[in-house]
Amino acid sequence: MPGITVQLPEELERIIRAYPSDKRYILAMMQDLQKQCNYLPREALEEIARHVEIPFSKVYALATFYKAFSLVPRGKYHIKVCDGTACHIKSSAVLIDQIFNAIAIRPGETSPDGMFSLETVNCIGACAIAPVMVINEKVYSKVSSAGILDVINGIRGDINDNAKSS
Amino acid sequence: MKIIVDGKEIDAVLGETLLGAARRAGIHIPTLCYHESLEGQGRCRLCMVEVNEGGRKEVVASCTYPVKEGIEVTTSTPVIDKIRRNIIMLLYKRATGSPVMRQLFQEYGCPQNSLQENPEERCILCNICVRACEELGSSAISLIMRGTQKRVATPYDEAAAVCIGCGTCARVCPAGAIEMTEKEGIRVIWNKAFAMQACSRCGSYYASREEIAHLTARKPEYVIQSDLCEDCRKRMMAEKIAVFVSE
Amino acid sequence: MTTQNPPDNRKILVCCGTGCQASGSMDVFLAFQNQLHPEPGVTVETYAKATGCNGWCEQGPLVKILPDDITYCRVQAKHVAEIIDKTIKQGELVKKLLYRDPVTKKQVRSHHEINFYKKQHKVALRHIGEIDPASLDDYLAYDGYKALGQAFAMSPADIIDEIERSGLRGRGGAGFPTGRKWRSCAVQEASEKYLVCNGDEGDPGAFMDRSIMEGDPHTVIEGMIIGSMAIGAHKGFIYVRDEYGLAVQNLGRAIQDARANGYLGEDIMGKGWAFDIEIVRGGGAFVCGEETALMNSIEGNAGEPRDKYVYPTEKGLWGKPTIINNVETWANIPVIILAGAEKFASIGSKNSKGTKVFSLVGKVVNTGLVEVPMGTTLREIIFDIGGGILKGKAFKAVQTGGPSGGCIPAELLDLEIDFDSLTEAGSMMGSGGLIVMDEHTCMVEVARYYLHFLAGESCGKCVPCREGIDRMLEILTRICEGHGKMEDLDLLEDLSETLKAASSCALGKTATNPVLSTLRYFRPEYISHIHEKRCAAGVCRSLTTFDIIPEICTGCGLCEKNCPVQAIRGEKKEPHTISQELCIRCGDCFNRCNFGAIKVV
Repeated sequence: MPGITVQLPEELERIIRAYPSDKRYILAMMQDLQKQCNYLPREALEEIARHVEIPFSKVYALATFYKAFSLVPRGKYHIKVCDGTACHIKSSAVLIDQIFNAIAIRPGETSPDGMFSLETVNCIGACAIAPVMVINEKVYSKVSSAGILDVINGIRGDINDNAKSS
Repeated sequence: MKIIVDGKEIDAVLGETLLGAARRAGIHIPTLCYHESLEGQGRCRLCMVEVNEGGRKEVVASCTYPVKEGIEVTTSTPVIDKIRRNIIMLLYKRATGSPVMRQLFQEYGCPQNSLQENPEERCILCNICVRACEELGSSAISLIMRGTQKRVATPYDEAAAVCIGCGTCARVCPAGAIEMTEKEGIRVIWNKAFAMQACSRCGSYYASREEIAHLTARKPEYVIQSDLCEDCRKRMMAEKIAVFVSE
Repeated sequence: MTTQNPPDNRKILVCCGTGCQASGSMDVFLAFQNQLHPEPGVTVETYAKATGCNGWCEQGPLVKILPDDITYCRVQAKHVAEIIDKTIKQGELVKKLLYRDPVTKKQVRSHHEINFYKKQHKVALRHIGEIDPASLDDYLAYDGYKALGQAFAMSPADIIDEIERSGLRGRGGAGFPTGRKWRSCAVQEASEKYLVCNGDEGDPGAFMDRSIMEGDPHTVIEGMIIGSMAIGAHKGFIYVRDEYGLAVQNLGRAIQDARANGYLGEDIMGKGWAFDIEIVRGGGAFVCGEETALMNSIEGNAGEPRDKYVYPTEKGLWGKPTIINNVETWANIPVIILAGAEKFASIGSKNSKGTKVFSLVGKVVNTGLVEVPMGTTLREIIFDIGGGILKGKAFKAVQTGGPSGGCIPAELLDLEIDFDSLTEAGSMMGSGGLIVMDEHTCMVEVARYYLHFLAGESCGKCVPCREGIDRMLEILTRICEGHGKMEDLDLLEDLSETLKAASSCALGKTATNPVLSTLRYFRPEYISHIHEKRCAAGVCRSLTTFDIIPEICTGCGLCEKNCPVQAIRGEKKEPHTISQELCIRCGDCFNRCNFGAIKVV
């Protein structure tokens, strides 16, 4: 196929080739790639198209249809604020404001240093402990606007410690 | 099988859609996302009709509804007319820039309302261009995103490596939404420029070089004289026949 | 207070559902594992196991000790040594970890004595919180795969008869009779048939399927195997949201264990029946809960629905006859086979049999999962089980059925809820979310919220849904911002008709329910937003100003501490004030104040 110059890292190719060449495995490939890279690199999508033998435009359509995937790298700390109904009526919108005050990013954005990114999600099924926020895999329950600052400052502390020790 | 549409008995074949059967019988049902050479999509919902199946009435999209023995169909009722008016209104508000939608908005007598118009937009997301590109082009475009963000695009909105610049998408678009410009032998479509082939006889530009290469590779038997435009090709054939007959 | 002679064999059950895990239950479980080593002179043989969700997430992490029947609430890892020392070794209670009844103020020893559990009737959730979801042996000890054994003695027709007589209706939303669905698929002649478990639970505010998949995965598998025998399918799929990491993990392990022990595979239980299950992880699209969109997604396409003029039972996955049932439906199947259709049908209301799991959330005291017989009233669920509204505020509405459902007002609190009564009330059973709203919830904003949700989740294929939802959202946003006009309400109703009649799938057809139900029961709220530019609930920011009533303010400083923009100032124990320039009208202070000292102007 013309126009492809970037070499795909071997590990990503392995993730893709672990599945049979059948379009029904595309979603699974994308999920594994998203977990591995924190986003879907273009070269990986092109590799999927080659492996499954469908047009690149179709792979791209799938990657943009499903919200679980990101086409740009997410932050090292990816913050998901739940805006399911239970969280919404317990003022999840305030959490978004508070995060903006603390790290100046809005949903869909990544901080310039690449450390934080933010998105809102529609219900993670932890409604009984609303409002909830998820950072990477960790769930924070009954988050208050004051509590959110503690969490972010805690992460910043970790980042600084790591920077010092390395 | 026999079905009744607007009181008239018509013939239908098992497996075909209601819209197909009605069109064949000369009965008009309005559509925007339907193209006779493509499968019905059920997107625009303008072709909604009322089906009475043994007393059970249902409003269905005729372009995807498979005909059933003995159904009675009404193509226009107050409910259906209102649905169509609202659909036209919604598409007009979405794609106010499309001359077709402006005209239909008038034709259907849609009432003015306070909903915002979108003069910059022409696309009505009928998906005909995408389907045509799959069939005749090279699947360079697709419907990306979802919900209100949905749109037709090439991957990453960049010039697609596979696009052959055939312009089929622009030709089939009912809304005039796909921009294709041609100037001094260069065609630009979907952010990609194509050098056009000039006809060796009349000198007019008739196809992109990529399209000719694509067609030659796909169906060599159709490309008899690939350096001629379609008009000249026909003319040449006619001349050959004339020579043959006179001999 | 001491327990009786401590028994030699104790089980410590640590709830490790998502809610409790978020509150630190894995640390509690690991602490038990590390600290429960036999000591010289101690003969007790005690072990800890991690269970699925007990439902009472509000009080998590929960620890149950059997057979003493002790329930500890809000346990942290630091309490573990004390529990082992006092309860396990000496048979004493750790009183501070017991639940205190808010009314009687008494400490309660067992969860069986707590109202939240007392009034429940567990069928689908029967094992959850009791068994270790990672252990096939544990499942077998609780009659696991016994129904399957029994089903092997029945013909496919017998199985379908049994399900049909039980009156089971699909728990995923519309309540279609399960037996009838199976029968229409069983009669199809086809080389292949498929069976799908819909675990794409997407209704915001609902998490019962998540808990079942996490807490009792073998039940779902057993139900599916029985279904496969009834319709003659050899391949099944479980479509799970990838966000449900624990559910994916536990289901995956359960499938592996079932295969290794002859419950899945070429020759199930040595009876010659072949059936296997594959997990498909969803990609984060609410619309994939719709069965035709789900099938498209399994096939590797975008999750756009198809018109359902031909049912999936005739033409489903890859054009083959397919049945799709939701998780909770599958979890009921083994019970029906084991206990019999009559027993199952003896529970519930006239046309809705059995129980339903609800996720009771929002502004209610006891949040969590509750399972009650169909026909239980909203009042019983919200007030008896749920303990009423938080902070003693007034009940305003309960939202049922997610974005396809509606808001039910106080007048209907005595409604006996089942599939039909909810539909009549302009709402829907949906998957069973019950979101309680109090006087500080704005119903116009709730309608706007759901349409905003749906605008992002509509697949965008058909015009009525894609454009219609967007336009209704435009109108509702305008009303919430104080720019609404009375004719907007007519336009909302007019567009609703088109969405209902012309949309391709249920997402669009029911998208108008949140709007129509709030217009039906809470019209005055719309009118006050339009005419008076007033949001009495204090939610719509453009229409709200908060002020502190100096006579009531105690100067406790709670609002000041939590204000995200430091707009509140005041001396300790003196009335505070809000700077209107700085205030972003988020309502945090208003919701937080314990004295009702903040008013909406």
